Amino acid sequence: MKNRLIILLISAIIALNGSAQEADSVLRPVVSGWMAEVGTSHLRDTYLTPVAYSGWHAAIDYERLQVSKFDKNRWTMQVRAAVNLGSTENEGKTATMWHFNFRPEWALMRRLDIGALSPLKLAVGSMVSGNVGGLYLLRNSNNPVSVQASATVGATAMAWYNTRLANRQITLRYQVDMPLVGAFFAPDYDQLYYEIYLGNHSGLCHVAWPGNFFRLNNMVTADWRFGSNYLRLGYRLEVFSSKASGIVSRRVEHSFVIGFTTEWLSLSSRKPQSDAEILSPLY
Amino acid sequence: MKKLLSIILIVIAFTSCHSVEEYPNDPPGNFDALWHIIDRHYCFLEHKGIDWDSVYSVYRPQVTDKTNYMDLFLICSDMLGELKDGHVNLTSWFSTSYYKKWWSDYPQNFDERLVEEHYFHFNEFSRNGLSYCMLPDSIGYIRYPQFTSATGEGTIDWALALLRKCKGLIIDIRDNGGGVLTVSEMFVRRFIKEQTLAGYISHKNGTGHSDFSEPYAYYYDPAESGRITWLDKPVAVLVNRSTYSAANQFVSVMRYLPNVTIVGDRTGGGSGMPFTSEIPCGWSVRFSSSIIYDAQMEITEDGIEPDIKVDLDADAAANGHDTIIDTAVAHLLSLIGSNQ
Repeated sequence: MKNRLIILLISAIIALNGSAQEADSVLRPVVSGWMAEVGTSHLRDTYLTPVAYSGWHAAIDYERLQVSKFDKNRWTMQVRAAVNLGSTENEGKTATMWHFNFRPEWALMRRLDIGALSPLKLAVGSMVSGNVGGLYLLRNSNNPVSVQASATVGATAMAWYNTRLANRQITLRYQVDMPLVGAFFAPDYDQLYYEIYLGNHSGLCHVAWPGNFFRLNNMVTADWRFGSNYLRLGYRLEVFSSKASGIVSRRVEHSFVIGFTTEWLSLSSRKPQSDAEILSPLY
Repeated sequence: MKKLLSIILIVIAFTSCHSVEEYPNDPPGNFDALWHIIDRHYCFLEHKGIDWDSVYSVYRPQVTDKTNYMDLFLICSDMLGELKDGHVNLTSWFSTSYYKKWWSDYPQNFDERLVEEHYFHFNEFSRNGLSYCMLPDSIGYIRYPQFTSATGEGTIDWALALLRKCKGLIIDIRDNGGGVLTVSEMFVRRFIKEQTLAGYISHKNGTGHSDFSEPYAYYYDPAESGRITWLDKPVAVLVNRSTYSAANQFVSVMRYLPNVTIVGDRTGGGSGMPFTSEIPCGWSVRFSSSIIYDAQMEITEDGIEPDIKVDLDADAAANGHDTIIDTAVAHLLSLIGSNQ
């Protein structure tokens, strides 16, 4: 039974993986890119302090998009990963709070049919997100860290528009995502990590839903084509707020985004047909 | 359009659920923030019978918009002094408040020079916070002034190995104000043969004065194989009013071991686990938020009575005698004699 499940899972993954170009009449290029973010960060975590902290943050993001052959090429698969580091201070400038997190994400979006010739494209789908990180308030004694860990499934929507600017192709994109259900870590009100170290692990995992774990991630980008690469400029706004066991944690980040993306095809032993249809996830 | 409005309203409702009470960054606002932090998080208000509302009514009228921050610090420090807790500190831009009466109202019962000159003879072994020597009559003596993370397993191994031929052992933790609890645990593990109930811990789990989690029992394991231990021979632990926090925790576990005798004055206590918070002007406040009970479910916040109560005699000290060490030596010799 276990083996059957594994075979079934592997089959599903292969079916979803559009990089296997078995039908050469359709080509599914990959759009991948690296981005750097820098911006402002506003934090509040009542496990560490009831006072708000503000400062900067910087992040490195990776993104990969590809049309999946699953369900007649109607779906787009997205993989994202981000490493984020920030430093903030309280209003009195008497303490520094650091923020770090790593967030891998995987999404599958169904492209909506609004007319094949329309320059505006829409897609909606589901996103699986993980997050590991924490806040570190240097001067606190036995509660210097607030660990932030979560695994969620949510919704995502993307709209993109291809046009030309200064005689170059430009792709404008907006994507929003929001977790809807999952699990996240939070200690009890005033519970010290020392007690967790001693072995009291009860009540640390909480069911997440938008009422206690709210995160709205918005990103607007413009990709300009330069040869075979694209320069990406954009803005990201992320609003996060969680509440568990009387502990409120909030984060608002505004970021300027700059990056490069490229579009490529995985190698195939067979030649594509001369009239092969190219299904780009963005461009 | 109605659907969009509904979604926006739901989103606003979700985030507004996570509101955090804000206080203005002025003297009254900072005072109120501090008072509320203690009201909602301090764990000994009930145990100590403190009427925190009446404390507010005494101190709040002293703070106005025109109160300067020096006076605000002094008023807040006096208010925190009502908690009678050495783990409570208010750290401002210019000073840190510190309640001292748990030790300053009592005899010190320790003279470092006396120990150095007449027991160590300025010739002790000393490494990573641990100083030790062999006293006459084959009694080992370890002086440990702080449970510092600099002390590793190897340091304890060497001390116990070099004192292994001694028939009895004195561990002097007078004036030991605490330190790292896991170091205290590391030390205790050398003296136990089997997994031992060390105590219970209970944290505030809500804003009410009696909102506490179920006490969680925690245990210490014996030292791992290969470590040097001291299991059957008698031990005396020397304490005074400045034996506090992690050192008090050490005593609270050691005192229930059959071969251990506590000698000296009552300990200072400090069985609350400190937590740190902050008021709008950026001053930090440290306070007890979790209660540590001992293995008999007793709260040792107010200290632990020794098995043998003895003070440092000033006349004897003038003649080079620490009466607390001497009492411990005599007690150990009597135990060794009765065992032979």
